[in-house]
Amino acid sequence: MGLPLVLLFIVPVLAVIVFMLQDATTLTGWLALFDHPQFGKALALSLFTGSVAGLAAFAASGFIACTLFQSGKLRGVALPLGAMLALPHLAFAVGFSFLIMPSGLIARLMALPLGWATPPQIITLQDPYGLALAVALAAKETCFLLFVLLQALSREDKRLALSAQVKAGQALGHGNLSISTRIILPQLWPEIIWPLIIVFVYATSVVDMAAVLGPNQPPTLAGLVWSDVNSARVENNLRGGAGALFLALACAGVMLVFWIMLKLSRQWRWKFFTCGPSTLSAPLWLAQLKWRGLGGLFIISGLLLVVMSFAQLWTFPALVPQGLGTMAWQQIVERPDALLTSIVLGVASASVGLVILVAWFEAMPAKYDRVTLALCLIFLGLPALSTGLGEYRLALQLGLTATWQGLFMVHLIPATAYMFIILAGPYRSFDVKWLAAANGLMAKRWRFLTTVKWPLLKAPLVASSAIGFGVAFAQYVPAQLMAAGRFDTLTIEAVTLSSGGNRPLLAAFAFLLMLPPLLAFWLATWAGRQKWSAP
Amino acid sequence: MSLVLEGLSISLHGAKFIAPFSMEIEGGEIVTLMGPSGTGKSTILQAIAGGLAAPFALSGSIYVNGVDVSRTDVAKRRIGRLFQDDLLFPHLTVGENLLFGMARGPREQRLALMRAALSDIELAGTEHRAPHTLSGGQRQRVALMRSLLAGPDAMLLDEPFSKLDVALRAAMRELTFLNLTRRNTPTLLVTHDKADAPKGGRIFEIKNGEVIYVR
Repeated sequence: MGLPLVLLFIVPVLAVIVFMLQDATTLTGWLALFDHPQFGKALALSLFTGSVAGLAAFAASGFIACTLFQSGKLRGVALPLGAMLALPHLAFAVGFSFLIMPSGLIARLMALPLGWATPPQIITLQDPYGLALAVALAAKETCFLLFVLLQALSREDKRLALSAQVKAGQALGHGNLSISTRIILPQLWPEIIWPLIIVFVYATSVVDMAAVLGPNQPPTLAGLVWSDVNSARVENNLRGGAGALFLALACAGVMLVFWIMLKLSRQWRWKFFTCGPSTLSAPLWLAQLKWRGLGGLFIISGLLLVVMSFAQLWTFPALVPQGLGTMAWQQIVERPDALLTSIVLGVASASVGLVILVAWFEAMPAKYDRVTLALCLIFLGLPALSTGLGEYRLALQLGLTATWQGLFMVHLIPATAYMFIILAGPYRSFDVKWLAAANGLMAKRWRFLTTVKWPLLKAPLVASSAIGFGVAFAQYVPAQLMAAGRFDTLTIEAVTLSSGGNRPLLAAFAFLLMLPPLLAFWLATWAGRQKWSAP
Repeated sequence: MSLVLEGLSISLHGAKFIAPFSMEIEGGEIVTLMGPSGTGKSTILQAIAGGLAAPFALSGSIYVNGVDVSRTDVAKRRIGRLFQDDLLFPHLTVGENLLFGMARGPREQRLALMRAALSDIELAGTEHRAPHTLSGGQRQRVALMRSLLAGPDAMLLDEPFSKLDVALRAAMRELTFLNLTRRNTPTLLVTHDKADAPKGGRIFEIKNGEVIYVR
């Protein structure tokens, strides 16, 4: 049972990494990369946006989670957070761009009091420093890190232990900021370090969001590499391959520097933990304001997509469109291929991924999970550009480029990797007492699985499926490479449209990109709800 | 019906944990195995039920109704178990829990058996209720009935009364013993409390890894 599963899941992940490393062997690509006139600035931009987004997301999520945890209000964020997490990055980026662009909603709201008749001459979108991209990434990744912290703080053992420690900290004269930074976050550090790395690497190497919000002259390094990879000239392709690997190495370099700084800061940390109580406290309303502000940003971005998709005439500084129409939607109805392809790929990836993983957990001993988890984290911790190219090379070897099978493979692998990370904990920690009880009732294995184990694990099973669907649905880089012009997915269409002038059509595509993952999330929440109490 | 343990021994990391012992339990007889915590009482039950995992290793034979089941799959041994915790499946109703282990057959007949079992334990009409809406004593009674309705050829009781209060404990003990004797089920009861042992029944005790006959 184990071998077919290893072939299905681990071999493709390993192969992708091996093929990705092949690019290191061509010197021409490396020399061309370092000779590129925009290379230095593009690299600096990538590292800047990635670092700012990662640090801001960590600070915001840590503040919200720890403050709400101490006041017992953390559980309330779970449901809206899930919906925010389900929203694809690209859809959020498009909605966010409609909010901040010079003729966007914020400028329209300011136009009346400031007397603006035309959009202000300020570069708020695709700014040269990548600030718009960094802010959008920080907002989106705050949700992800908040989700990780929520998972850790909701675990009964951890919750009880930390609640008691919070009381002890209060009794020793510490304010809530001191408790957050000296008691809660240090204990959550082992659980948040990998997600933080994934956030940093993603923010540094993102392509689709950068196409909508990032600078153009020069673009981020990921943008530069992406245009090389898609170029018709072989020498540019080689430079792109080297660039993708360099981006991965640059990320590793930054993390190494960060790790060294952490090691060197031991004395400083000792002082920080032992310098005595600080009564400095952040009011609860500030954390709530931050959380609601984040939620509001997502809601407004989503609503803007709906409104913009119907807007036929919307001149500045009008707050609402002067003319509405369904032209954009008619175009989509007439050509539903991209939508259908994305849905089929999402559903197929989530379903097949779930079958693979359940079979894995049932057939393989838990000791192999650690290696698999490490592989998944390495895969997800590498820039999508690099892994996407690795997948493309693998597909070339197998003759799968521009085929349904190849397209499915590049959607299945990341979806399964994410699903493994989510499902491994709940599935492996399933209480063996239920098996003993079923055995005592002479229940056969299949009966036990279908009547006891899977119904009790329904919530994590459907949640991981919904996330798998969302991950597959939002794939851009590997989808574009593998589709090779023969297939269209929603992400490919939306990124192409982002450089054109048809905003209603772009908004309609972005809205469609948002809707199925949201529906999947609500469906998972509804289907996975627990109707019983634990004994 | 009978449960026979022949030369049963358990090792831990290759070293002796429970020395070889033999025991024969006739249908309707309830034998008690006593000993303080950590002496291996529950490990012996686990070995008999099947599913004893490394670092433990089992040798010897287990016969249920004369058939050696020591290498038989856990679910096929037809050995029922009752635990300290009721272990009612929380996502199933009381009735569904009772039906869970019951042999296949005509639906009406199974439902009638389930309802009769609930009446026997004075819980008639609770079949549609969720387990968590019952009290601890009620849940333990349902757990007992669930085990019995599965029709085991032998029964293992793993301190099933230890979490009940004194008044409930005596009643539950009586109900359990009565049902097991009436169904002629050979039973091994593990406990650390002598008061749980049935009057006049045989008692064994674990001392330094040896299973010793007490009375």
